Order: sequence, then C-alpha cells, then structure tokens
Amino acid sequence: MLGYYVRLALRSFSRNPGISALMVLAIALGIAVCVMTLTVFHAMSGNPIWWKSDRLYAVTMDNWDPNNAADKKHPELPPPLMTYKDARYVAASRVPMRKVIMYTVDATISGAGTAPLRTPTRATTGDFFAMFDAPFLYGGGWSAAAEDPPPPSIVLSRETNEKLFGGSNSVGRVLRWNDQEFRVVGVLDDWFPRPRFYDLNGGSFSPPEDAYVPFAWGPALSLQSSGNTECWKPETINNEQDFLASDCVWIETWVELPDAATHERMQTVLDNYWAEQHRAGRFPRPRNNRLTDVGQWLRDMHVVDNDNRVLVGLAFAFLAVCLINTVGLLLAKFLNAAAITGVRRALGASRRQIFSQHLVEVAILAVLGAALGCLLAALGLAAVHHMYSAAHLGYRGGYQELTHFDTVGVAWAIVLAVVATLAAGLYPAWRVGRTPPAVYLKSQ
Amino acid sequence: MNLHLRPILSALLRNRTGAVLVAMQVAIALAVLVNALYIVTQRIEKMGRPTGMDVENIFVVQSAGFTAHYDLKSSIEQDLAWLRSLPGIIAATPSNAIPLSGGGSSQGLTIVPGDRTRDNSFGYYEVDEQGLDALGLHLVAGRNFRHEEIEPPITVDDAGRFVGNVILSRAAAKELFGDQNPLGKPVYDTLKHQATVIGIVNPAMNSWVDTEHSDWVFYMPRLTSSLYGGVRYIVRARPGERDAMIRLAEAHLSASNPDRVIHFVRPMTYFKDLSYLSDRSMGIYLLTVTGLMIAVTCLGIFALATFNVATRTKQIGTRRAVGARRADVVQYFLVENGMITSAGILAGCALALATGYYLSLQYALPRLNLYFLVGGVLVLWAVGQLAAWQPARRAAAVSPSVATRTV
Repeated sequence: MLGYYVRLALRSFSRNPGISALMVLAIALGIAVCVMTLTVFHAMSGNPIWWKSDRLYAVTMDNWDPNNAADKKHPELPPPLMTYKDARYVAASRVPMRKVIMYTVDATISGAGTAPLRTPTRATTGDFFAMFDAPFLYGGGWSAAAEDPPPPSIVLSRETNEKLFGGSNSVGRVLRWNDQEFRVVGVLDDWFPRPRFYDLNGGSFSPPEDAYVPFAWGPALSLQSSGNTECWKPETINNEQDFLASDCVWIETWVELPDAATHERMQTVLDNYWAEQHRAGRFPRPRNNRLTDVGQWLRDMHVVDNDNRVLVGLAFAFLAVCLINTVGLLLAKFLNAAAITGVRRALGASRRQIFSQHLVEVAILAVLGAALGCLLAALGLAAVHHMYSAAHLGYRGGYQELTHFDTVGVAWAIVLAVVATLAAGLYPAWRVGRTPPAVYLKSQ
Repeated sequence: MNLHLRPILSALLRNRTGAVLVAMQVAIALAVLVNALYIVTQRIEKMGRPTGMDVENIFVVQSAGFTAHYDLKSSIEQDLAWLRSLPGIIAATPSNAIPLSGGGSSQGLTIVPGDRTRDNSFGYYEVDEQGLDALGLHLVAGRNFRHEEIEPPITVDDAGRFVGNVILSRAAAKELFGDQNPLGKPVYDTLKHQATVIGIVNPAMNSWVDTEHSDWVFYMPRLTSSLYGGVRYIVRARPGERDAMIRLAEAHLSASNPDRVIHFVRPMTYFKDLSYLSDRSMGIYLLTVTGLMIAVTCLGIFALATFNVATRTKQIGTRRAVGARRADVVQYFLVENGMITSAGILAGCALALATGYYLSLQYALPRLNLYFLVGGVLVLWAVGQLAAWQPARRAAAVSPSVATRTV
C-alpha cells in the first residue's frame, strides 16, 4: 500500500512540478533559518560543565558604594569580581572541597629557544585544573598546598606548547616567564569551554589563556589584571600594598561544594566574615553574599544576549509563515486534483485511505524539505562563520566558534522539518477526504 | 468606479480557508517587517555616529617590555622619534588605550571636590602633544597640550596621581558644566586632585560603543605607563599610506628592541569593526530573513490567486460571455486580493504593535516608531497587488466560449 501511495505522490508531483518545488523550497527555507538560529543559540546557551555545574559556585560579596550598585541595571547583583582581601579569605577557608581564586595577566615567555612570545596567562590557585576538569596532555598542575611562597611552576596550553616546544613533552623544561625562571610542570590538552563560564569578563566566548602560573606570582611581581579592575571608593593608592588592601575588585573566586550541608556551611562562613568586616566599617551596602551555581551564573552574566532571543523569535515567525504557506499550497494542490480523489472515493477508497495517501505525499515533501533545509543551513552557517572570521583576522575563539553545524543540528533539522510539515499537511489531507465524490463525478 | 465589493466579499466568505491562510501570512510578515526595519535603522544610526577620529587612516601598535633592561621612557621616545620621521605619517602618540576597541580605563570627574551625588564615569586617554593630531580630533575651543606639559608615566607607587590639565569632549563638558564655559575651570578626580580644563574637542568617542555615554571622554597630557598590559602607540598615516606604514612599522619595531615584544600592529578599523560586529550581523540577518519572509508571503498570495483563477475558469468565461470586459475580470481578482491583504494588514498592525511593545518591555528597545508601520502597510499592500497581477491577467485571457463547454 505504501509503495502505491508513494507512486501516486510522485505522479502528483509531476502533475504540477512548479508548485511542488515551491513547497519544498518554502519548507527548506523555514527549516534552514530555524536551524541556523537555534545552532547559534544552543551553542551560546550551553552549559560547558553540566556534569558538575550544580557543585561549582561563583562567590561574590557586595562591597560596593552605599549610594550606587555595581551594576545600575541590576542593582540586586554584587560585583562579579572580588577584592584581594576577601578572595584570600575564601581561599583560606577549609569548608569547600576545592577553591580557586584567579585573574589574568599579560605576560611574555622567552628563553625557550624561540622568539619572545606574548602569553596571556591565568594566575590561579592549584585547584583550578581538577575543579574545572581541564584535561592534561603531559604532567599535571601544582599542589594547592605549596603556594606560599609560590613554586616557579607553569602549565602551558597545547597550542603554546606547540609554539614553544614543537608539541613535544616539555615537562621539566625551563623557560622565562616575564623574565623569571619557570619550570613546565604540565601541558593541557585541547580545552575550550564555551562559554568560558569561569571568567566571562573578557568576552563570553574567548578561548582559555595560553599559560597558567600560581596565583601568588601575580601580586608578588605587581602584575595588574589584564581583565577588569573596578574601584568605587576614593582611596589613595601609593603602592602595591595599598592596592591589595583596597576595595577594588579584580579577582574571580569559585568554590566546589559537594552537598547541601557544605553549601550551607560556606554561606555561614561568608555571612560571618561579612558581619565581622561590617563591624569594622567595610561592606556599607546591605548584606548580599552569594554562592551562584554555573547555570545561574551564566544567566546573571547575560551570556545569551537579547539580540539572540529576538532572532530565535524571528526564526519561529518565519517558520510559521513558511508552514502557513505550505498549508495553503497543499490545500490548493489537493483540491485542484479533487476530481481524481472523487473517482477514487467512488471506486471505494475510504476517507482514511485518502487521508493516508495524501499524508504520504506530505511526508515526501517534508523529507525533501529537510534535506534541502540542512544544506541551506550548512551554507548559511558557513557564511556567518566566514563573516565573523574575516572580522576577527587570525584571532582564535569568539563568535565564529558558535557556528559549527553539528550532528545535533542535522537531527534537529530533520525532526523539525518532518514534524512541522506533517502538522501543516494534516488539515489539507483531511479536508480533501471530505469532498463529496458526487460533485466531481457529475460534471465529469 | 464601482468596485462591486459586496458580491466579491460574499464569494470570498464562502471559500475562506485559503484567504484566511494568506491573511495570516500577511499579518505575520507585516509585524516582522515593521519591527525588523525599526531595529535595523537603529543599528545603522548607532554605527554611523560620528567618532571625531580619522579612523580610516589610523593604526595602533601595541608592545610590552619583558626584561629588566627595558626602559619605558627611552623606549617610547625612540619609537616615536622613528615613527614621526617617516614621511607617510602625520602624527603619533603613546596612549593607554585604543578608542572604540572595548578596552580602556575610565575615571569619575566632578566640579565640586568630593561630590559623590553624581556617579559619572569618563573614558580617558593618556596622550602627548601630538595626541589630538594623531587621533584626528577637532579642537573646538581652547588649546592643545604643549610638549613641556607632558607628565611622566604613573608607576605602582603613585598610581593615583592626576594631571595638571585636561581636554574634554564637548559631551563631557556639558555633563560637568552644563552651559557654562568650561575653559580655565577646575575639575576633580575622585581623590579630589585638581586639573584645569584647557580645551574642548567635538565630536569624540571613548572605548565602549555599546554604553549610553560613549561620547563622555577626556584626554590627559601624560606618557602612558606599562602597568596595564603594555604600551600602545596611535599613529595616523597620510591618506592611502596606512597599510604600507603598518608593514614598515611591524618590520622595524619587531627588530629594534630585544627587550620588548610587539603584540600587534593593526588598523583602527579592525577594532571599530569588531566593536560593531554584532550590530552589523544582526542587521544583515534581520534584513535577509525579513526579505525571505516577504518573498514567501508573495508566493502564497500568488499561489492562492492562481488557484482561484484555475478553479473559476468557467465562472469567468460566463461573466465574459454576458458582457464583462477583460478589465472587469482583472479588477475582480485585484479587489479580491486587496480585501484579503487588507484583512491581513489590519491584523498585522495589531500584531506589529503588540510585538513592538513586547520588545520594548522585554529587551529595553525603544518603542516602535509609527512611521514604520505606515511604511510597512504600504509596502505589503503594493507587494500583494503585484503578486496577484499575473494570475489576474491570466484570468482576463479566459475566452467567453469556455462558458459553452462543459468542465
């Protein structure tokens, strides 16, 4: 029966190939626009560490100006970064299973036998790698216990290791980082969490840094943050010590809390610390100490911007127009051939059979539409990728990384096309079955 | 002229499914068209704001010293002397940041020392006496910095130091002084250090194109420090010479000092384009999808009209046989299409306003401008008539003799 319906459908297409092609094109366009938009949206709204996202918490405390919130548009949020003093307090706490305080600095690596290399570096405490599941290709990190004084240890990204050591196992090699002698203790494998949830300050989709050194090297060498430093308080800062004691925020702070009890204890630690500092005259704003898990953090930091939400709405409006259009065309096409249906009905075909027959025709259109839609979406994404890459020159990362058309995208496209088109075909297929055969037989 | 609205309408109402579907498409298309064009217009306006700078001819050099032998001051002097000696270069200045790039520093200023009631923040640039010239800024009042006024770079030990003189953008001057003449008057940083306003430039922009006050900016006569990720030079080339100068600078500066590394030498357009990239791609995407949507809607109108003509051949033939002219037949289909489109447009107006209102609430976009609605209505109506034109002509070609045949 199915084979027969397929033959009927093909005959029907050849009766008016123009209108059939237009239908396939309309479905394909609708699908392509939806899949393109959803691919980018999906990549943007992804949670790159979903498997432990509810154990990782960003720590923030509102130390800001009594008269002005840190972010005027969202006065309920504390500043996303912490002061040196507060971050060090969190880092000293024994409550979290792991904890990380960190910031980024712009450094230069020399003495590795190559030309000096600009190396954006993350100054971080040792738990970083285990906490964020950064994969090692060679070696490992440094012990979180041995940080005072900091060991001259450095971890390189895979790309940096390729530039400096041709990709060989460089663990144990010595190089100069900002003119200080450092020893390579580890090399990371390819690692590109998107969005870069643990530091959203320099663009949400920036790549991770090229190297990692123990946190304390930053303050020890008086290295300023290459990310954001925000100050609200009029304070005279005459040296590095003044800066470290100031109310300027520049440090990202994360803790890993394995269960609800630890979470509660950590909250108490923060609240007690806040109360003690508040008595000493700090924290002029109402108490607002937050432990924010990764999912909420991505929302608080507005990783998915409004433009993308608007575009998703637009894509669905477009798909709706394409499908309404398909309903109209199918109806016209089916009713145009109602005389044939009339004959089939008169010869004994049931309404149900007529319905199935027409639905098979719709399904074929849906499959063709999906195939063409995938092709168009892939082309469209390639065009967007090209546009972003051209603007970024040789820069790795950024928005163009969001435009990869993956198998999930293809699956989406096919499901969307088939479901949507079948839905669009239901009414016309039902309607054509309702035509009374007599009308057509008479005038014939 | 009698349009015979009543019989056309009653015929339409008896066979309404196709018409309702087309009207729905028109409604959605109108809502999208109007709102998309409105958003695109805003983005184009935003990208076209005057920067006051000679963006096309400027390039930026960023470098960082990394050894103990590196001396900031002599290094800057040497590099600037070399850059300024090139005939293809108009002016060059050290700077702490790159305007329009999204990165830089800002500082609160007041006209009453210690006033904390106003929370304003102005992007600032540390430049020397060639600063205004290198940026291509236009001085509208007062004077430029003099060579002897350029102060030494800040260090870790005096990072809070201010300067003696500043030049403000006109927008910054207006925010601080209102309509008073700011020249010669003092301004204070948040630590109550005083500086005197010696000049006003207009227009001008700071580093952050997406902020509300991207024209709040001031300039300080000070050598840039290496505290914040290296040293930057802003260099303005003669028209047409920029790319050649970039190649020359990259080759020379990479080799001239073994104690520092050149991060990049890039045209300023790179930073501007990158800052506006999301606006540009949003515009392109909106226009493309809206265009496709109008096309698909036209297709729907065309298909419905064609279908109607095909199923009414006999009726048309009969009308022609009893005296209707070709023009009457064309008119019939155009009027019918006009009714369907108008119904869709009516619904579309409501939908467009609702969408505009939702967008303004949800995404803090400004409320829809009604001129766009009027424009959208006219466009869709014209497009609808055009799409129905060819089927209507085909209908007019139906011969009256059809009436006498069966089928």
